Amino acid sequence: MAAENRVKKLKPLKMLKLTRLLLYLVYFFSKVPRLATVLLYILRPLYVPVRENFLNRKLRYGLLTVGAGLLSPDVFKAYGYGAKAVIENINDVIRSVKKDKPVIWVEWILNPEMLEAFDVTSFNSALLNVFGNVYGAAGPWSLIEEAENYGVPLEYCSAMKLDMGAYVLGQIPKPAMTIAGSHPCDTNVSITQSFEYLLEVPSFIFDVPYWRDEYSYEYFEKQVWKQIEFLEKHLDRKIDWDKLTDMLNRLNKFNYYLSEICEMNRAIPCPGTHINLLFAWVVREINVRSPYALKMAEAMYKAIHRNYVKGKGVVKKEKIRILLWFPPIAFFTYLFKWMEEEYGAVVVADFIGNVSTVDIDTSSKESMIRDFAKTQMHLAMGRQCHGPVEFITDEMEAAIEAYNVDCMIFTGHQGCKHGWAAVKIIQDICRERKLPTLYLSIDIMDQRHLDEAGVRNEVTEFFRSHGWI
Amino acid sequence: MMDIFEKVKELAAKDYNEYLDAMKHDGRKIIGYFCSYVPEEIIHAAGFVPYRMRAVAGSGTAKGDIYFSALNCTFVRNCFNKVMEGDFHFLDGIVFMNGCDHTRRLYDNWRHADMAPDFRYMFVAPHLVNDLAMDQFTTEIHNFKGAVEEHFGVTIDNKKISESIGLYNRKRKLLADIYDLRKGRNVPVKGSEILALLLCVTAMPVENAIELLESFIQGCRDRVVSRPDDLRIFFSSGCIEEIGHMELIEDCGAVIVADNICLGSRHFNLPVDESAEPIRALAVRYLSHLSCPRMMNDFHKRLAYIEEMKKEYAVDAIIAEKLKFCDLWGGELFIYRKDAVKKKFPILALERELYGGGQGQIRTRVQAFFEQVRNKKSTADDLVRASGDNYKVNL
Repeated sequence: MAAENRVKKLKPLKMLKLTRLLLYLVYFFSKVPRLATVLLYILRPLYVPVRENFLNRKLRYGLLTVGAGLLSPDVFKAYGYGAKAVIENINDVIRSVKKDKPVIWVEWILNPEMLEAFDVTSFNSALLNVFGNVYGAAGPWSLIEEAENYGVPLEYCSAMKLDMGAYVLGQIPKPAMTIAGSHPCDTNVSITQSFEYLLEVPSFIFDVPYWRDEYSYEYFEKQVWKQIEFLEKHLDRKIDWDKLTDMLNRLNKFNYYLSEICEMNRAIPCPGTHINLLFAWVVREINVRSPYALKMAEAMYKAIHRNYVKGKGVVKKEKIRILLWFPPIAFFTYLFKWMEEEYGAVVVADFIGNVSTVDIDTSSKESMIRDFAKTQMHLAMGRQCHGPVEFITDEMEAAIEAYNVDCMIFTGHQGCKHGWAAVKIIQDICRERKLPTLYLSIDIMDQRHLDEAGVRNEVTEFFRSHGWI
Repeated sequence: MMDIFEKVKELAAKDYNEYLDAMKHDGRKIIGYFCSYVPEEIIHAAGFVPYRMRAVAGSGTAKGDIYFSALNCTFVRNCFNKVMEGDFHFLDGIVFMNGCDHTRRLYDNWRHADMAPDFRYMFVAPHLVNDLAMDQFTTEIHNFKGAVEEHFGVTIDNKKISESIGLYNRKRKLLADIYDLRKGRNVPVKGSEILALLLCVTAMPVENAIELLESFIQGCRDRVVSRPDDLRIFFSSGCIEEIGHMELIEDCGAVIVADNICLGSRHFNLPVDESAEPIRALAVRYLSHLSCPRMMNDFHKRLAYIEEMKKEYAVDAIIAEKLKFCDLWGGELFIYRKDAVKKKFPILALERELYGGGQGQIRTRVQAFFEQVRNKKSTADDLVRASGDNYKVNL
């Protein structure tokens, strides 16, 4: 049966509900993390060496993403909290849809914290970009095909095509309003308008400045004030400053834990792995509003700190330290644990997981909004992609220095035109630094371009050609 | 003796012309710029000649492809190839704009390759049209003015800017007058000739451009280029500079009477308010003029503009084009097509590469489209075709 037919038969929000079910499994198993990791390990023959098949289709991606028994029990517990944060959001959304309450779409590089102060349901329309994989490999690509059949340009970034496909198939809720921004790329600028045309609901758009200086921060800050006006007007309620203060205090802690993890990952051997930070990024994007998001960050921090204090690495013998640059491969999250297990190769820093932001001063409304604006501009992906190439390359070079990396893997994503236009510059920098680099030509959402096996082959050959394995 | 239309066509085929050469000999500087959002008046008020960047008279993309990938648009690849070939040797400065992802990286690659000229300014325009964006844009124009003053050691005062505004408004008015000539049944000038004209007047001093435009208007008197059964086309696109491409469309039995293109309406739409404070007035004009799809909250206005043009110019059909890998125009065409279905108006969406050939395919598609329009087969989705495919658009 063709992939698209399988997906077209889905009832509205079915993929969201399936995601919730699988996350519940993770959450419940995380209550007994040791048992869970042992079970995951014992069951590996059913899903690790074998490819996706009829028996493991709905579970394989999820089981691999939670480490396939290779995560330590304390980190697994942290994942459980993260899963709960996402579950809470999906529950809110489904409840709101049933009761005809407003759901507000918040773009993937603009966090939903502000909506906490309005006590309204937020939804990240890109949720199925990652979790669409729980429907098997055909999940994402059938959503992509649906969007293309609907008329969306083929060359769009597939992440955005997934949003449109999910919307057309009724797998994500129709919003009462949308909040979007002009970063990180043209696809986002463009599809925001397409959605606005189709949805015909009020939308607030952030014009993300090109530069990152005080003037640009002020410009963005003024827009946050406008956003508050917009929400007050369309929701017909006032902002709850106490709630926002509480939210941003939690956000400060959340950011603190994750940035500490980034710092600890500089140690040799590396005490963590960046799949943890990527998982945290996804949770943050979807529902940093949930207290469980903070619990996840804290549990992750504690688990990695224990390793750090003991001088223990995430792998017994660390052989290769990798900088993963550009967006990670959504359909192959197991890449990290696979490289660790197979080659002792650890991703010590990456483009998305790296947390670099400011602490929000919650002492007054003005300071809160000023710093909150900065945190929005410092979110990964947006932070690097909205301005000149130095926003990408300076951070890359800083990571190369700070994390003592042996090599870099550049995940060249098909839809990322500005990324491809920067490759020559990146190549020249890496060549000058004599840093071995693997340039993958891949679609991070659609494995028909280069699949899991293809990635494994390219990575293996890269390591082999440098004599590391 | 060569008539004005032949002269324009000949000038349009060159990237450097005798007007620019004369300016160079007079010691006037030439500043290249990339987008309809860069205020030419500031460059002119500095005593320089603004030059709209183009890939005309290029030799391909081979050297541009060293810096850009096959997933980047052919305008930047062609243009950067010309940079690497030294074709822009006459430029004293270059103004980039954050128009799209491809041109953003043009700024980065130009600096990385460290190619001349050494004045390389990134002019930043907001993606929104609102009060906050207007303030930001006003500041940006001030910053740009300051950067020009500092680098070249010149002073740009309000008086000079006002004088420049006057000249550029005159140029805009003349262009608008030429467009108006196409409202009638007998059209005196083709779309392809207008494109050539725009290529000329964006590559010469405004004073010469005004003279040329006046002669052009004279030349249009008693001239009819349309045939009685020609379809009247609204043409919409981003970057287009291939006159031959437009000729091909018109040769299939049509005349392009109105447009929304960079080297077209977007260049002259909306005059600058000469009674207001000059820099603010420039900000208002450049941010509020007929927008391109990079402006996120303005597509309703763009759609309304098409409706207005359809009525004013008695348009029979729309041809909308995009360059391959252009997300912005890709999304715009998506909206156009959905809207065309709603309004039951024929539209042909085409995709091409800049100087990419494929005339045979394009001719076939255009001919087939025109045939359908003529046969009045205007059922909702028969006439809506996506670029490169033939599926129906489902609403």
